[in-house]
Formats: sequence, C-alpha cells, structure tokens
Amino acid sequence: MNELLNVRNLKVIFPTERGIVRAVEGVDLHVKPGECIAIVGESGCGKSVTSLAMMKLLSSPPALMQADEMTFDGKNLLQLSEKQMLDIRGKDMSMIFQDALTALNPVMTIGRQLDEMFMRHTNMTRKEAMSASINALHLVGVPGPERRYFDYPHQLSGGMRQRVLIAMAFAIKPKLIIADEPTTALDVTIQAQVLDVLRKLQKENGTALILITHDLSVVAHMADRVYVMYCGKIVEHAPLRDLFTHPKHPYTQGLLSSVPHLSDESNRFVQIPDNVPSPLKKPSGCYFHTRCAYCTQECKERMPRLTDIGGDRMLRCHHPLGGE
Amino acid sequence: MGKGYVFKRILYTLFIFFIVITLNFFIPRIGVEDPAERYYPAQGNMTDVEYEIIKQLTREQYGFDVSTFQQYLRYLKQLLHGDLGTSMQAGSPKVIDLIAERVPWTLVLSVSTMLIGVVFGILIGAYAAWKRGGWLDNAVLSASTITTALPGFFLALLFSLYMGFEWEWFPAYTDPNLVSSFDWSLDAILNVMQNAALPIIATAIGSIVGYAQNTRNSVISVSDEDFIITARAKGLSNETVLYKHVLRNAMLPIVTSLGMSVSGLIGGSVVIEQIFNWNGMGTLFLNANNTNDYPLMMGIMIFLSGFALLANLVTDLCYSLLDPRVKLGGARR
Amino acid sequence: MKKNSNNFFLRLWRHPKGRTGIIIAMLLVFCAVFSAYIAPYDPYDVTQRAEKGLAPSLSHPLGTTITTGQDIFSMLIYGTRVSLIVGLVTGICTAFLGALMGLLAGYVGGIVDTLIMRTVDIMLVIPTLPLTIVLTNIFGKSYFMIIFIFTIFGWTGLARVIRSQVLVLKNSNYVKAAELAGASRWHIMFRHILPGVTHLLIMSTALTSAGIMVAEAGLSFLGLGDPTAISWGKMLADAQSGGALLFGHWWWIVAPGIGIFLSVFSFMRIGLALEEMFNPRMKQGAGVRKLFKSLNNTYIQSVFDEMNEDDTPVASSGKEAVQA
Repeated sequence: MNELLNVRNLKVIFPTERGIVRAVEGVDLHVKPGECIAIVGESGCGKSVTSLAMMKLLSSPPALMQADEMTFDGKNLLQLSEKQMLDIRGKDMSMIFQDALTALNPVMTIGRQLDEMFMRHTNMTRKEAMSASINALHLVGVPGPERRYFDYPHQLSGGMRQRVLIAMAFAIKPKLIIADEPTTALDVTIQAQVLDVLRKLQKENGTALILITHDLSVVAHMADRVYVMYCGKIVEHAPLRDLFTHPKHPYTQGLLSSVPHLSDESNRFVQIPDNVPSPLKKPSGCYFHTRCAYCTQECKERMPRLTDIGGDRMLRCHHPLGGE
Repeated sequence: MGKGYVFKRILYTLFIFFIVITLNFFIPRIGVEDPAERYYPAQGNMTDVEYEIIKQLTREQYGFDVSTFQQYLRYLKQLLHGDLGTSMQAGSPKVIDLIAERVPWTLVLSVSTMLIGVVFGILIGAYAAWKRGGWLDNAVLSASTITTALPGFFLALLFSLYMGFEWEWFPAYTDPNLVSSFDWSLDAILNVMQNAALPIIATAIGSIVGYAQNTRNSVISVSDEDFIITARAKGLSNETVLYKHVLRNAMLPIVTSLGMSVSGLIGGSVVIEQIFNWNGMGTLFLNANNTNDYPLMMGIMIFLSGFALLANLVTDLCYSLLDPRVKLGGARR
Repeated sequence: MKKNSNNFFLRLWRHPKGRTGIIIAMLLVFCAVFSAYIAPYDPYDVTQRAEKGLAPSLSHPLGTTITTGQDIFSMLIYGTRVSLIVGLVTGICTAFLGALMGLLAGYVGGIVDTLIMRTVDIMLVIPTLPLTIVLTNIFGKSYFMIIFIFTIFGWTGLARVIRSQVLVLKNSNYVKAAELAGASRWHIMFRHILPGVTHLLIMSTALTSAGIMVAEAGLSFLGLGDPTAISWGKMLADAQSGGALLFGHWWWIVAPGIGIFLSVFSFMRIGLALEEMFNPRMKQGAGVRKLFKSLNNTYIQSVFDEMNEDDTPVASSGKEAVQA
C-alpha cells in the first residue's frame, strides 16, 4: 500500500433531541502522496464533517464517530491519543477553511496567527518565526508581506485572507492538506487567482490535497480523482476526465448539468429537482430516488452497493447511465 | 483614524451630560411654582406669615429671586467651575466637599466587591465553560437562578444575623467612629477591613455569580466560532487554544458589562450601606432625602451621572483597544 | 385565535421550567386574591401587646413581630399582593411602552429613531435608584409612583430588541405588500409588524416582572413604598429595625425572603421557558449533553452497524419487501 491516507467505513452521527442525524454513513477513500482528490456534493451531504473527522477534530458531544480503518502516513489515527494527534495536526496534515473572515481570529494579527504554526511545530525563535511567516505570506502572493504581517484579518480583502489561510496550511510543508470550500466565499476572478496559488504550492511541495467543494469548475481546475457524495454516502468515484465525460450516476450528471459550459456531452440544462432530503429522515432504498429521473421500484426499496465498475471507477446505482 | 473616533465619543458624552444636567436642574422644580416651597415644605405649626418669611429667606439664599432661565444659566456657570452647589446642612458645606469625603468609603465597598466578582467570576466562568456540563457548570447555572431571585439585601440581612450577631465573626454594624478616627495606621486599616467584611461578602456573592455566568456564556459562544477550529487544526493544545484564542475574544463582552457595572457601583450601594450603617455616598443620599436637602441630592445625582458617563467613555475606548475591528470605525480597506 | 392561545398555554405547561413557574405563580395569585381568607390574623392589627415577639408555634406559624405583635404569617400572605401587582403591572406597562417606542424607532425611523435612541442613552446614564428616591420625595410615596418610575426607566432594553426585530420585519415581503396596497403607517405597525414581535413582549413581561419584584422589595426596604401597605421589603426593614437580628428571630427575616424568592423565581422560570420555546437554540448546549448521558450504547452501535455496506435496505419496511 503506497497510500498516504486510507479511510475505510467512516461513520459519523449526531444524536439530537429530534433523533439521530446520520451525517456520514460509511465513507471509503484513499489519497496517494502528492495527489489531489475532490469530494463533491451539495451542502449538507456530509463532506465537511468527513474532513473534520479525518483530522479527528469533531468534538464529542455533539458528534460520535466510528471507522474500520483510518491510517495516515503509516500511523493508525484511530489509536493515536489526542496528544499524538496534536503533533500531526498542522505539521503533517493541515486544513484550509471556507470563510477566511470567520476562520481567522479577529483580535490577533495575521502575522501572529502564522507565527503560531512555526512556534508550535519547529524550534524557531520568535524572530525566526516572524521572518518565516513573512516569507510564507510572500509565497502565497500577499503584496507587501512585511506590512501585512501586522494587519488584522478584517483589514484584508477576502482574497488576501484566503491566501493567508493557504500560507498557514502550507507553513510546515505538510504531507496532506484538506481544503474545505477554499474559494466559495470569493468572486470568480479572485477565485481563479487563489486556486492558482493553491495549485502552484501543491505541485511545488508535492503535497496531497483533498478538495472539498460543491463547485465542479473548481474540481476541473484542480483534481486528479473525484468522489461524489450524497446524503452521507459516496455515490460515485472516478478519475476527473472520466467523470466529466462519462458520468454514470444520475446525481453526478445533475451536478454537471448545472455547470453548462463544461457538459459538452448533453446540451440540456438539467436542474436537480427538489432539495437534499433531511438528514433526520432519509428516504428508503437509494437516497437519491426521490430526485432521480430514472427511479424504479427497485430504487425505492433497496440501497445499491458501491461497486467497482473497472477503470478505477466506483458506482452506487441500480441503473447506471450509458449502460453497464 | 483613531483620533476621530475618540473625539466623536467625547463630544457625544458631553452632549448627553449636558442633557442630564438640564434634567437635573428642572426635576426639583416639577410641580411647584416656587422652588423655595420644595426646599422648605410648609410645616403644620407655621403661620402663613412665618412661612412667607422662610420662603423669602430661602429664595435669597439659593438665588430663586431671579427668573428661572437666569437661574439655569447661573447653575450652568457654577457647574463649569466645578461647583455642585451648597448643602442645606448646618454650616452650609459645599456639596462637592461632602461628596469627596464620602466617595472613598463607598469605593472601598464597591470596588472590592467588583474586583472579587471579576476575578473569581471570570475564573469560575471560564472553568465552567471549559468543563461544559460538569459540576461547576451546573452549579453556576443554578446559582445564577438563586442569586437573581434573592435580593442582595436579603442575603446581607441573613449574614448580618448569623455572621454578625450570632457567631460574632464580623461587626454587624459599622463602627460609627470608623471615618472620623481613620488615620492610615495599620490598626485603622484592619478595622476598616473587619467592618467592610460583611457588606462585601453579601454583595460579592451576587457579583461573582453574575460575572461567572457572563463569562461562561461568552466563552461557550466563542468556542463555537470557526477560528477556534482553525486554531485546533494547527495542532495547538486545548490549553493554548483557550488562553490565546478563546479568552481574549470572550473577554470583549465582559469588558462592556464591566463598564456598565462601574457606573452602577456608587448608585447601587444605597441599600447595602443603609443595612450596615456604612458612612458612604448611599447614606449621604438617604440622609439628604430625609432632610429635604435638594442641593445635595441633585449634586450627588450629577456626580453619579457624570461618573457613569465617564465610565462608559473609558470602557468604549478600552474596548476599541482590545478589539481592532472597532478602532477603524467605518473605514475599511 | 383562541385555539392559538390555548395551544400557547399548553406548550408552556408542557415545558418543565414553565410548569414549575406556572404552579408557583398560581399559588401566589391565589394567596393574593384570597389573603383575607387564608391569613389567620389581621396583619394590620398592631394592638396585640401580649403577643409580641413570639417564636413560631401552632397558633402563629411564623411567630409575631417584636415591636407590635403582628402575625408574621398573615403579613407574608398579604405581602403577595404588593409584589404581584407592582411586578405584573410594571411588566405589562413596560412591554407596552417598549413595544411602542421600538416600533416607532424601527418602523418610522429617521428623526424619530434618533430621538428615541438618544433618550435610551440618557436613561442608561441617570442613576435609577437615587432618581426614584428624589421623585418619591417630590410626589409622595406610593406604589403608583414606583410603577410609574420603573416603567419610565424600564422600557429601554425592550425597545432596542423590538427595534432591531422591526428593522428585519420591515423588509419582509408581507409588509412590503401591505405598503404597496396603500395601508397606513399605523395600520402596518399595529396590524402587520406588532404580531411579529408579540412573543418578545410576552417574554419580556415575565422577565421584567421578575426583575421589578426584586427592585420593589429594595425600595420598600428603604421605606419608599406606600407606608400603609404591607410588603415583603417593608417587612424586612421592620425586622431589621425591630430587633430581629439582635434577638436572632431568623423566621422574621427568612419568611419575607422566601416570599420574594418564590415570586421572582416563578416569573423567571416562565420567562426562561418562553425564551426556550421561542428560541430553541437557547437550550441546545445543555440539552445535547443530557442527551449524551442518556444514550444507550447498544442502540448507538446498532445505528452504526445499520450503515454497514450490504444489500439489506436501511428502512425496515423495505426489508420485508425484499424478502417477499
């Protein structure tokens, strides 16, 4: 096994007063060193919870988590103590969050927040950490990093804040970075710039990247392989090109159709009808059957298995598109 | 940038103070044509002629013999010179001198109460939030129900009954010579501490619980913020996250509530001073009320309002130092 | 409308905090209304020279006063009246004034808003207790005066809350529609916006009443209430000046204290229950924790196991369908 991260049968639930929310229902995924994978799905499908679970950042309560396997860089994360996890977080595995305004401490300068990373995981002195932070800011393309070092998060633009978060994530050159909707809060033009920075740093450092997003144009820009998630389950997995040219799951097709210029296969602009079912009351059978155009009686009764369909592809559907 | 904000805050504070002063001038004049009647209400055994003479004297003494507007202007002028008026007490002492004499004694009680409340309250509250759902957390929650439903002066009476009279731990009534005999000697200071013990204990309980609950709620709401997950994702230990990221942010609302309570420090001490016979501003005010000493009462009111305004101003400015988001005001880059 | 209000009281009754609050409050109301029948003696009777300073006994359950030989239990029962009337009337008046000011400030806006909010700032600075003392000196001591002053000074907090709510409602579609239809400002304010904030008013009435009961006790203790009425605060003042502390007659102090505690406690409970009913987020923290303690491990494990990958559908009804 040359996998960097291997997760098998990850399950996360949130007991609430109105019942148990099954957020993640047995997710399998693996990441090779230096590879970029994407987890795609609508909001509420459990992708963010999955990422927090992989860093063991879900607090209990309110969450409960189980997995058959969770190995990272040869270490069994499930058996590591919280103290051992502290040395992995930030150093070997770090995270980029969605909204940089809320993800940065509002009363601390961005420089100090970057310093923390170096002071925690290296033996640098204050001064060394400061120059390392300024250098990190420089690498992500923050103009005038010496001055920006002393700025507070609210003094920066959205794009600059996101760059700061990226600088923070890459600070110690981790083996894996989980980026949770890294560009969702940004304008389209800024989005492209930030993604370029992310991509450049990822290639240069040989970092593996898990990109979590609902935006397929971002995926097309970055990922090698894609996992599509729906209602806490993986419904399709494929290499990027195959997924975009030959989606097999109706849900994937629906997602692709909402990005018109990318789907040259079909000229129809299909919207996925209805909303994501409530996580408290998921439908019987295949979770997607309530919104699926190809739904049959079998779909209503039986949850399809995630099966290997060859060509490094996995699919959870009774009626794959374009035949078996 | 920062200067503009400070200047605006100071101007606004002065504006509010001016309105409060104006209200203060007119309050004793509500419902009477002649303020002399307010200062010296008619006594049963006085003849009309006698009362007329007394009123005339009062008018001359307090300058009621000119038009109300002229009185108002003179009042403002006096205040500008720091003159809060002349008390009706024997010897016609200046109101400002009477206040200056009593303020330290009230502050002894209220500042110690506040300090105890802030220090213990924040420690307990932070720990309760830290061990959310633990015994201390539950204790803080139930204690807050009890201390809000039980008035502080009731606790004071109970403490006075048991710790003062039954067990004789502390003096139940303040030594009447406490103020006059105070000379900064060690004995005198110890004497003050002994006498202040009961009133401080009685009020500190509510204060501790109040700050503990505020801190707890604040810490919990900050703990749910996104940047706390960021900090944890950096690999920082829980303790570091608490000290460096949670507490600093959680203190912001506490600072605001601290400013609010500073303004109530002196005004709120009336009841507790009355119970323990403590010679502070509260007792001064109640005595002024009993003797119809309006110049003294209104002088104290102005002093208290000014104190409250100053406290709010200082809090606002401190807040802008603690929270970088405020300093810039609307000017965002 | 009627059905709605029934439902409201039912929900309050079902809420554990609400129920304790209602039961105690009802008990107090009963005492206040039927004081004359419940109290064994005339509490105003100060002529019982032979009965002075008695300890609690069967004939005098809470003893008698040292100075005048009044029956303390009877005084306690009669004291309910002042506390409830002052608390409730002030609570209701404050709600009315706060609602009016908040509506005007929020809906009319402009100069009205500025004026009202400046007034709030001034109110917050003036020391309430000293001013109350001055005003009772001017206008004479009565509970009417106390209610009046508390109302004048008590509306500010509520007005702020209502104002911010109104600012939200003002932009809602149904208010816009009413404006387009040409409804008058007053009509919109009272017919369309007011119902949107009613729950805040009910909640505020309960919580303000509780706060006022404490404050009233303090004023009565200072001798600023109606000198002829019996109130708990005045009983405490009498106890202090009458030598209860000196002679260790704790019952004379504890009795009115319990009275104050119960009345404040009951209204606070009702207020907090309403707060949780209208704003379910309030209780989440504690609720989830309790929930976690009560969780059944085997049940949780079965939830996790249910998610395991196999051909059996999740819904039990579906299971039968497959076997059939």
